[in-house]
Amino acid sequence: MTNVIETKNLLRKFGSDETEIIALNKVSVEIEKGEFTAIIGPSGSGKTTLLHLIGGLDEPDDGSVFLSGANIAEMSGNELSDFRRDHIGFIFQAYNLIPVLSAQENIEYIMLLQGVPAAERKSRVGDMLNLVGLEGLGDRRPAHLSGGQQQRVAVARAMASQPDIILADEPTANLDSKTGIALLDVMRELNEKQNMTFVFSTHDQKIMDRATRLIHLEDGAIEKDERK
Amino acid sequence: MLTLRIAFRNILRQKRRSLLTGLSMTGGYMLFVFAYSLLEGSYGNIIDIFTLDNTGHIQVHKEDYLDKPKIYKSVQDRATVESTLSDHPKVKSFTPRVFSPALAYGTDKTAPSRVIGVDTETEPTVSRLREKVSEGNYFSTAPDADGYYEAMIGHGLATSLKIGVADEIVLISQGADGSIANDIFVVAAIIGNRTSFDRMAVYLPLATAQEFLAMGGDVHEYAMLIDHRDNSRRVADELAGFLPDLTVSPWEEVQATFYRTMQSDRQGNNFMMGLIVFIVFIGVLNTVLMSVLERTREFGVLRAIGARPASLIRLITLETSILATISVLLGMVLIAPMVYWLSQVGFLVPEPIDMGGIEFQHMKGEFSLQVFLTPMMFMLVTAILISIPPGIRAARILPKEAMGAH
Ligand SMILES: Nc1ncnc2c1ncn2[C@@H]1O[C@H](COP(=O)(O)OP(=O)(O)OP(=O)(O)O)[C@@H](O)[C@H]1O
Ligand SMILES: [Mg+2]
Repeated sequence: MTNVIETKNLLRKFGSDETEIIALNKVSVEIEKGEFTAIIGPSGSGKTTLLHLIGGLDEPDDGSVFLSGANIAEMSGNELSDFRRDHIGFIFQAYNLIPVLSAQENIEYIMLLQGVPAAERKSRVGDMLNLVGLEGLGDRRPAHLSGGQQQRVAVARAMASQPDIILADEPTANLDSKTGIALLDVMRELNEKQNMTFVFSTHDQKIMDRATRLIHLEDGAIEKDERK
Repeated sequence: MLTLRIAFRNILRQKRRSLLTGLSMTGGYMLFVFAYSLLEGSYGNIIDIFTLDNTGHIQVHKEDYLDKPKIYKSVQDRATVESTLSDHPKVKSFTPRVFSPALAYGTDKTAPSRVIGVDTETEPTVSRLREKVSEGNYFSTAPDADGYYEAMIGHGLATSLKIGVADEIVLISQGADGSIANDIFVVAAIIGNRTSFDRMAVYLPLATAQEFLAMGGDVHEYAMLIDHRDNSRRVADELAGFLPDLTVSPWEEVQATFYRTMQSDRQGNNFMMGLIVFIVFIGVLNTVLMSVLERTREFGVLRAIGARPASLIRLITLETSILATISVLLGMVLIAPMVYWLSQVGFLVPEPIDMGGIEFQHMKGEFSLQVFLTPMMFMLVTAILISIPPGIRAARILPKEAMGAH
């Protein structure tokens, strides 16, 4: 099996000498294509930090990140931007969307950055809205969508660029538990149908139950790594 | 197109703020255009006054006659010059002239004067000599009953010599052949007033002057009017190509001192205008910066999903220039009737300004594409430049700032 994500001895420290916090302490993980991985652990255990490093949004103090075999530390600023655009989908906890764009325009925008031709953009937007169950709501601006619907648009946007992996930092944290579970089901479905690799963090027991792999973080280190 | 849409909607997002920013740019633009029109109009007015009064738009001389006039530096092959000028489509009219210093003698007084020989027919097609006749009648080429040829003299000379219309005037000068020239003329008219540049001049019909100065058929100068004063340099260059042995000078060279003064005056005014625009744009910079800081999270998301830093700079620049374009276009619509009025009617100056014997009472503006486009370009370029620093600020936002709720 190919590893879409591979980290080697990731070290990330914050603060200076006396107040130094080791957010990640030599973390090595390998994630295969098609896995549906949850990163769990108490607050401050390093979940967000790990996702940031994997997504190239932050740089480690030591160790390296390989995405589909490429070492992201060797990329220039623009290369990394382009790599994120083409290979990584992001879903954030909240405020994912550009408020002045409608749902479908939000989804279209990332494809525009990729240079996807207009006709294909349009048809993919339609497909994505269907996949996340938002058909008919494409014209609405984020302010006129519920939190759950906004997160579905974020999922659709992440999918639209046809990335290798989708990283999501507590995507359900701002949703009530029913809506959160529904969002997870959408993600899981995409994972199964399209073999899309998902890595997400969560505090919620019901959410982790749906993962196929659980990586437990504790004080910046992997305490347990279980596949179901 | 989507980027354009984002930019547009971002402008509409804070309607009140965009409106205020836009109106400040509109106001700045209108002020700029108005001042620019008035300034160009005044320059144009002054240029028209001396070019139409006397110098014409372009002059042709022998060698450096313009700087160091000598009676022997004369144009001899007049046929070539005249056919060249007649053939050039932009040359509307031209006239030959001769010049020489002379001592003028009235009843019992003498005064230094300047003889100007002009073609009585063609001179009025280039200069305002005929309109400047304040007493008597425009002269003719024919001698009077006593055989004296007619002269027209400047107001100052008439006063100095205490002579008037129908009086005799004696001129003493040196001919081109070195001989002493002297002759008696009869005053047909008084020209201009005491401030005219030619207040000490004696105008003679061309042939009379040539004979007086023993110049044969030669002349010192051709002055001409062309379709528009702004084309003087280009037409002068073209004519120079046909007249390799002569010096062709546009009015900018003929009136070099004025031209230099005007140019430095322009620079000073451009600086003032620049200052106004700068002040307007400090406000704009502030607003753009504010709008960027408000959208930190959004730009973070854009960076995270793969927008390059440069595309964020482009977005901010686009937003500012769209707003600037709309503001400028609005300003154009609002100020155009004003500028048109300024160019047609203008201000009435309380005290008529006398320029070389010609009075002008109106401060008029210029109504031209340049008057609208130059400030427009200036505003748009400034808008783009001013939005680059906030754009860089946006581009520097770290994507992780957008993540989570930290
Ligand atoms: N920018 C930062 N500056 C200083 N310390 C930081 C920074 N980001 C994270 N940390 C610290 O690093 C450690 C790991 O933080 P991280 O955000 O990765 O935890 P987390 O598991 O995502 O927590 P939570 O469940 O609360 O989101 C924490 O102790 C945190 O305080
Ligand atoms: Mg976190």
